[in-house]
Amino acid sequence: MQRNWGLKALGVLALAVASIAPSIAQDGPVRIGYAISRTGPFAPGAQMTQEPAFILWAEQVNAAGGLNVKGKKRKIELIGIDDRSEVETMVRTVEKLMTTDKVDLILPPWGTGMNFAVMPLLAKHGYPVLAPTATGRKLIEMKNPYFFPLLQQPDRIMRALADMLAAQGVKTVAAIYVDELFGLENIGALEDALKAKGIKLVEKKSHPLDVKDLSPVINDIKSKNPDAFIGLTYPPDTFLVTGQSKQLGFNPKIFYTAVGSAFPIYRDKMGAATVEGVMGIGSWNAKVSAESKTYFDAYVKRFQKEPDRWGSPHAWAGMQILQHAIEKVGLDRKAIRDYIANTEHNTMIGKIRFQNGENVTTPGMVLQWQKGEFEVVWPKDRATAKPVYPKAAWK
Amino acid sequence: MGLWLEVAAGGLITGGIYAVVAMGLNLQYGLMRIMNISHGEFLMVGAYFTWWAHTVWRVDPLVFLPVVAIVLFVAGLVIYRLCFRRIARAAASAEVVEARSLLIGFGLMFTVQNLAYLVFGADMRGYSYLADPVEIAGARFGQNRLLVFGFAVAASLALLAALRYTLFGKAVRAMMQSPTGAQLVGIDTGFLHPAVFGAGIALAGVAGALLSMIYEITPGMGEPYTVTALIVITLGGLGSAGGCLLGGFLLGLVEAFGMYWTSASLKMLLSYSVFIGVLLIRPKGLFAR
Repeated sequence: MQRNWGLKALGVLALAVASIAPSIAQDGPVRIGYAISRTGPFAPGAQMTQEPAFILWAEQVNAAGGLNVKGKKRKIELIGIDDRSEVETMVRTVEKLMTTDKVDLILPPWGTGMNFAVMPLLAKHGYPVLAPTATGRKLIEMKNPYFFPLLQQPDRIMRALADMLAAQGVKTVAAIYVDELFGLENIGALEDALKAKGIKLVEKKSHPLDVKDLSPVINDIKSKNPDAFIGLTYPPDTFLVTGQSKQLGFNPKIFYTAVGSAFPIYRDKMGAATVEGVMGIGSWNAKVSAESKTYFDAYVKRFQKEPDRWGSPHAWAGMQILQHAIEKVGLDRKAIRDYIANTEHNTMIGKIRFQNGENVTTPGMVLQWQKGEFEVVWPKDRATAKPVYPKAAWK
Repeated sequence: MGLWLEVAAGGLITGGIYAVVAMGLNLQYGLMRIMNISHGEFLMVGAYFTWWAHTVWRVDPLVFLPVVAIVLFVAGLVIYRLCFRRIARAAASAEVVEARSLLIGFGLMFTVQNLAYLVFGADMRGYSYLADPVEIAGARFGQNRLLVFGFAVAASLALLAALRYTLFGKAVRAMMQSPTGAQLVGIDTGFLHPAVFGAGIALAGVAGALLSMIYEITPGMGEPYTVTALIVITLGGLGSAGGCLLGGFLLGLVEAFGMYWTSASLKMLLSYSVFIGVLLIRPKGLFAR
């Protein structure tokens, strides 16, 4: 009996605290919630390209006194929860953050598939989201007014690639693509872009994500001797196709891989000498501007690792846009949405403007590993270095 | 013709990798019916251990292999003592051991995997080792892949010989057939049982160390390897060391030629077709006795 009384008293106390808490919170921090992959298959990508930007942003803003909301300085409280790389867990967590916890704002989950799944919730509960790691026409075709993907779309990236190939005088291309939405959409875009430039696609082959050996595919492509190799790959196969092309002595004049080529671990795992001359998807490096260098150094200092050259800067740009929006219009989510949709934003990766839910100002780019840095080599007005063509044989 | 040989050799090498992955589980499940579903996690531990030694202390991964084996063997003994000894003793039959160990294996899987997330974080890791090619009869192969292949063949043959021709091997086989009978003829099952389990964990660790020379590593890398291992040992016949190697080879060859003639996307379809086909014709695996 005695123990029961104690428990009941505790329960009453807890209820009392819970009912007082919201009135305290009103003048408290700005609460921003998100679900992201800290464990499971998506975790390496999410922890490489996205969550560190959230954390660094909140820490920097708080160190400067907080967010400026309607003239008041308010600290940021991040509520980040591991979704274990499971779509259902992510959706449930985000819905709880929106409805039960009533957070002020939501940050996006990681990856195209996860963002696709979270989009209905954003529209239903009216939470605007700037997503740095989602790409695909399918997302934009949803016409979700609260969803703003920051990455360049596949057709933009592939057109830029085809322009670069044509400028180098490439006549023939062989491509491989991963059996995921990303690979399928990009191979379609690549075919259109190559056709427009009169470049011949001599071979295209798909592969599953968990492939452990690509030598049969590489041997086949090697026998066709194309000028350029385009791998529309995800991180495990980006590493695999690079390592095996070197081992099999497949030396095309251009060697291009997609997701993962912008990761510092790609250079570190394969060796800087090996990846020398490899081209890939990206947007940025620390040389782009003084602001970029500051971000890069702060990131390295905080996390003891380098940011990647594609998702990370887009994630940071998203936080910059969000901060501007809050400081301009406060925490009214509809007003934030309208601000994001109707303003041209200045960010670390240049000006960003959304048109029908697409980032129409960031161009598709081609980057190339040169002496340990992933240099922007295309288009010319964004370039931090000249493209090295043809790529030297593997070292 | 040269190209065909190259594709076949590539398939054999990948098959060797599969065999290496499966070897440890073959000892545990094949011989002792301990369904260690956390097999891939110990492979991951071996991979991280090697990566860590290589990047922090600059130790040659190949030289480090015995250290990985010894450390994981000892860890295996401890885990056996903590988790599996009671069920192995209390269980009335092999089926009961199988069912109960499955549950424990799941628990271990989550524990070990999340410990790795805590210690190393989710980031991808890796290093470059023996990544240069060698040329053999006009065909080129990665040195690190050849190394794994060589290890697979050598270790399988050694295991085969040990189980068939040594007193130790006879004792292990006797224990597997009848634990009580084995005890009656003077076999110290109280020592042998944990030792074989520990050897299984050690082999998983060594497999991980070898794979870390080729592939990048993450704390979540183990799970798919557990599935691969299960397919390979079921294909080859539970407990058969030679079957494990040949099962791996078969899978590797089918995938290589299948991918060459059709599409890499059909890889899973091809390997599962072979798997189902073999199970239909020989339900106990290719080399089961």
